[in-house]
Amino acid sequence: MSKNTTHSEPLIRLSKNDSVPMWKGWLIRIAAVVAAFIVCAFIIVSVTDLNPIEVYAAMIKGSFGSVRKFWILLQNIAMLLCIALAVTPAYKMKFWNIGAEGQVLMGGIATAACMIWFGDKMNPVLLIILMAVVSCVAGAIWGLIPAVFKANFNTNETLFTLMMNYVAMQIASYCVCFWENPKGSNSVGIINAQTQGGWLPTIGGQKYLLNILIVLFLTIFMYIYLKYSKHGYEISVVGESENTARYIGINVKKVILRTMALSGAMCGIAGLLLVSGTNHTISSETTGGRGFTAIMVSWLAKFNPFVMILTSFLIVFLDRGASEIATRFRLDESMADILTGIILFFIIASEFFINYKINFRSKKKKGVNE
Amino acid sequence: MKKALKVIALVLALAMVFAFAACKNNDNDPTDSATPSGATEAGTQGTATDVDYSKIKVGFIFLHAPTDSTYDKNFQNAVDAVQKKLGLKDDQIIVRSNIEENANCQNTAMELVDEGCNVIFADSFGHESYMMEAAKEAPNVQFCHATGTHAKTAGLKNFHNAFASIYEGRYLAGVAAGMKLNEMIDSGKITADKAKMGYVGAFPYAEVISGFTSFYLGAKSVCPSVTMEVKYTNSWFDETAEKTQAIALIDDGCVLISQHADSPGAPRACEEKGVPNVAYNVSTIDMGPNTAIISSKIDWTPYMELMITSVAKGEEIPADWCGGIAEGSVQLTELNTAVAAKGTQEKLDEVMKQFKEGTLHVFDTNTFTVNGQKLTTYLADVIDEGDFKPETEAIKGGYFDESDVADKRSAPYFDIIIDGITAVVEK
Amino acid sequence: MENKTPAIELRGITKRFGSVVANSNVDLTLYHGEILSILGENGSGKTTLMNMISGIYFPDEGQIFVNGKEVSIRSPKDAFDLKIGMIHQHFKLIDVFSAAQNIVLGVKNKGKFDLKKETAAIREICDKFGFVIDLEKKIYEMSVSEKQTVEIVKVLYKGADILILDEPTAVLTPQEIKKLFAVIRTMRDHGKAIIIITHKLNEVMEISDRVAVLRKGEHIGTVVTSETSPAELTQMMVGKKVSLNIKRSDVTDGSDRLIVENLNCVDREGVSVISDFSFTARAGEILGIAGVAGSGQRELLEGIAGLQRLESGSITYIDPKTGNHENLRNKTPIQIRNLGVRLSFVPEDRLGMGLVGSMDIIDNVMLRSYSKGHSMFLKRKAPKDLAQQIISDLEVVTPSAETPVRRLSGGNVQKVLVGREISANPKVLMVAYPVRGLDINSSYMIYNLINEQKENGAAVIFVGEDLDVLLELSDRILVMCGGRVSGVVDARTTTKEEIGLMMTSLGGAKQ
Repeated sequence: MSKNTTHSEPLIRLSKNDSVPMWKGWLIRIAAVVAAFIVCAFIIVSVTDLNPIEVYAAMIKGSFGSVRKFWILLQNIAMLLCIALAVTPAYKMKFWNIGAEGQVLMGGIATAACMIWFGDKMNPVLLIILMAVVSCVAGAIWGLIPAVFKANFNTNETLFTLMMNYVAMQIASYCVCFWENPKGSNSVGIINAQTQGGWLPTIGGQKYLLNILIVLFLTIFMYIYLKYSKHGYEISVVGESENTARYIGINVKKVILRTMALSGAMCGIAGLLLVSGTNHTISSETTGGRGFTAIMVSWLAKFNPFVMILTSFLIVFLDRGASEIATRFRLDESMADILTGIILFFIIASEFFINYKINFRSKKKKGVNE
Repeated sequence: MKKALKVIALVLALAMVFAFAACKNNDNDPTDSATPSGATEAGTQGTATDVDYSKIKVGFIFLHAPTDSTYDKNFQNAVDAVQKKLGLKDDQIIVRSNIEENANCQNTAMELVDEGCNVIFADSFGHESYMMEAAKEAPNVQFCHATGTHAKTAGLKNFHNAFASIYEGRYLAGVAAGMKLNEMIDSGKITADKAKMGYVGAFPYAEVISGFTSFYLGAKSVCPSVTMEVKYTNSWFDETAEKTQAIALIDDGCVLISQHADSPGAPRACEEKGVPNVAYNVSTIDMGPNTAIISSKIDWTPYMELMITSVAKGEEIPADWCGGIAEGSVQLTELNTAVAAKGTQEKLDEVMKQFKEGTLHVFDTNTFTVNGQKLTTYLADVIDEGDFKPETEAIKGGYFDESDVADKRSAPYFDIIIDGITAVVEK
Repeated sequence: MENKTPAIELRGITKRFGSVVANSNVDLTLYHGEILSILGENGSGKTTLMNMISGIYFPDEGQIFVNGKEVSIRSPKDAFDLKIGMIHQHFKLIDVFSAAQNIVLGVKNKGKFDLKKETAAIREICDKFGFVIDLEKKIYEMSVSEKQTVEIVKVLYKGADILILDEPTAVLTPQEIKKLFAVIRTMRDHGKAIIIITHKLNEVMEISDRVAVLRKGEHIGTVVTSETSPAELTQMMVGKKVSLNIKRSDVTDGSDRLIVENLNCVDREGVSVISDFSFTARAGEILGIAGVAGSGQRELLEGIAGLQRLESGSITYIDPKTGNHENLRNKTPIQIRNLGVRLSFVPEDRLGMGLVGSMDIIDNVMLRSYSKGHSMFLKRKAPKDLAQQIISDLEVVTPSAETPVRRLSGGNVQKVLVGREISANPKVLMVAYPVRGLDINSSYMIYNLINEQKENGAAVIFVGEDLDVLLELSDRILVMCGGRVSGVVDARTTTKEEIGLMMTSLGGAKQ
């Protein structure tokens, strides 16, 4: 019981460190990936007896093994990236929108409805324009509903948007019952398989090229919107500090509504690309979890649309690689998922080491108290 | 310390880069290392000596991982069996699981084509349209699809459907159930008018209706007073819902439960409540040692063998194929004698013999009525064009002609609710 | 006081936060059966001192004795074990629980827990000390005063003999204060040792047996209340006047610019934070606003700037060119700007309100002007020039104009903020605690900038905490006390003591 106790400082203390030079940050990231591969190698050897190098080679083949695989890679990146771009303005505004899954689905349902109802009755160009508008509106409405409640009643947008996903899935299930083809299949099948009415056109003989180009355009648009437009600037201010936003006279409510409408509309576009440009069908699983993965893509890229190309590549690459090694080595799919989980964990953890400094309690400080 | 770690990391990274380069060399001749152990084994068995399987490469597309789903597991078992039987090497078989019923299915099929597969098989109903698209894209590769309905009408030479006359299996399972009911009546446990069975179905579709009707008719053939109540879960795999519906049926007075859905929900509920259960697809004796009687199941091995052998021989695969008891496609699992009524096995053998001889028809119009009337004519929706319009006469020679591959299709189309069965559709 | 062993004795307590000394060599004694007031301006180290007694901080130097035994209080739990209980200014209660549930929360009892039995025990405590409270009532249904009662009972229920109350009267109405004081006296009579932290001199005189005065982290002295006077206490609290040599020019214009009449404002809890507030700010003059922190300064400035809803009253802006009168009350900042009112505001919370920490200097400078023009896109050229100009004129130390302001030091952050606000050539300039945490050089630069604005004819409203600065910089000083105008004095003739008295009791010397 004396004053010279050592309670003055904890053993490990974290401090924010936001002046890490770029090269150092990338060095840490690369080191993390290497470390992840080494840890995975140990697991592969101990659990499966396979040669880890062969496993990694298969992983790369999963994405680059053939021209077709490469196109599929690009297409999957484009779809994930599109949704990631869509959620970005909301997250930049610190609006925790985990409802992209539902917003995409609503866009997809709207697209499918147009294809089914007007597929053979409308001028194809007009139809595609109509589908684009309707899918945007459907997604925007789905994004706006939680935003209205947030802006007016300060409801919790995380729960709200999450619940909206389930509503959208139920609507999709209902539509599937409604449009079921063939009867009793519980699926819509390929819409307009014969006439290809309402299908996004194939350009250059590559069925996914148009999707990829659209998303590329959206990437550039989102970059400019966030960085150079007044709207983007307001989003940043509201996201960083609502107090500051009020102080300079930004109408916070308006910004929340406008941004969520944009976010939802872009999700709607993603739905359009998935239904009209990719699957030509609709089901409650059309989004396939991308709405959640996209959040990770967006945050990992720190909301920079161009960096998101890289982060969505990473996720898709790991995903394709996982299914490739599961197939090639007849592994359980969960084994492949464990490996990608470890790699992702290391990459995300590296962000922690880039942003924070770990200080251990120094012996000297202890002396001061004596 | 930190520096040392960095150096180690760097060295390992470099090592990996070299290793990648080395492994590429290995890849150039993959046949070197793989000893064809399976092939020699098959050779000695002599089952396939006259057919050359060396140029065969088969791709399989599964909806879920076989470890997660009993439905896909059943297909995986068939793949393993057919590989062993025909002596195929590991690299002649590629299985892609977790393939959704969307463009991913088509992409996967085309990737399998790229890998050199000459025949590709998909296991889920929803895969069909994408398999057809792939079939258009790769006309030289054979595409086979389980449970589908379009092969006859699609006009694609390289696209095929297959199913099994599982209604016969269900009928047999129904006989076992009826025997159990008789035992209960004889022992005084229930009176004859209380002989009510419960059935947990997935969706109110022909495949399910055909299944439970044949099950019911099987039971009725030995226990004439039997009735049946059906409840749907509106999902192919929902353990909670299946369990809930099974318990609801038991509470409604059902003394025996069967089901057509993929989770172990209903058998588990039965074991908890001590109610006899007749299962589907897999034997449930493990999870219900005191209640499981028997299961009917489809074995896909005969069809897979047919499909591979046809390609190897350069013969055509039938556009539509429906395997029955004779082919070994429809099977019963081991009878749980601890639960089943006495004499069940003998009775089953007798009925099976009748099926093999072709003297017994499941949907014999003399054995059931619809709204009190004998069925003399019925138009079924066999040609599946999305019009939902029944167009094909299905009553033939005094029975409903289910899964007639010759002029109809392999997938079931019996969708009539007959007297004695109450099926409530909750929407 | 007959008891010779003090309940708490502090000897030579020192606490530093980095280079800032919060408490320096403080001695303090508290006996059982006594009420000790701790008096001091903002930043005099009262709260830090109390936090060390209640186990939130650990002193760097010095000793603490409880009942004559030296102790080491490392955590709030240690403090509880020593029967020390603190009632914080901000209540720590669970809204959906009843009073009784909140009170028993966290108490470890052996054996089966029985809320009924516990409730009886709580009722006994209430009866003993004269608390009137419905134990079944849920916290969210309670008034501020009821919540406070729950907090006190909670501490007593845990067996505290030494109670520390941090500004207990700040949120209460006069009637409620009366009740509280009665309870506090009963507790004293039952032998509890009580410390009250307060700013209000009249309350100090009314309730306490002795008063300990802190100033700038040091213990100035402890006096017996019956032997002292408000004037003496004020002098101890504010100290002697220190000359700062801030230049002050004469008022040139002096015409009315902003007339505030009968403003009223209540906070979310329904407590009145500004009442019947009236004053006039004149062109070319600095109106200093003095007052203990939390007297309503923030609500007043934010109310004028259009950020805080005001219940009633008027804010009239008189346009110097046209002579038009505009009422600004409950207008949004945009509406105020659109009226052509050139109102600049340097808020107290620089990075939380005035600036965006993660944005660079250019984007922060742009905050006020970005929305001008009809283009969808931002024009960064002019803000960039302005940022460069602010950096060179105000000697902002920064790697570049593209550096996030969060990475700048406090002084440089403030220069960016003030630089931006004065770049608009304001007609009314409001600044809140503009030199808080700044070094001497930066502080003088800010004073000069404010003076410059005054000379340019702006009406400056300067909210400060350092009385020496207020006295030398302002032309007139408005003193606030509990959300009201305590008085307006001429800064050239008044004294620190006069202001100190007005800050701590309404109307000051008149009482």
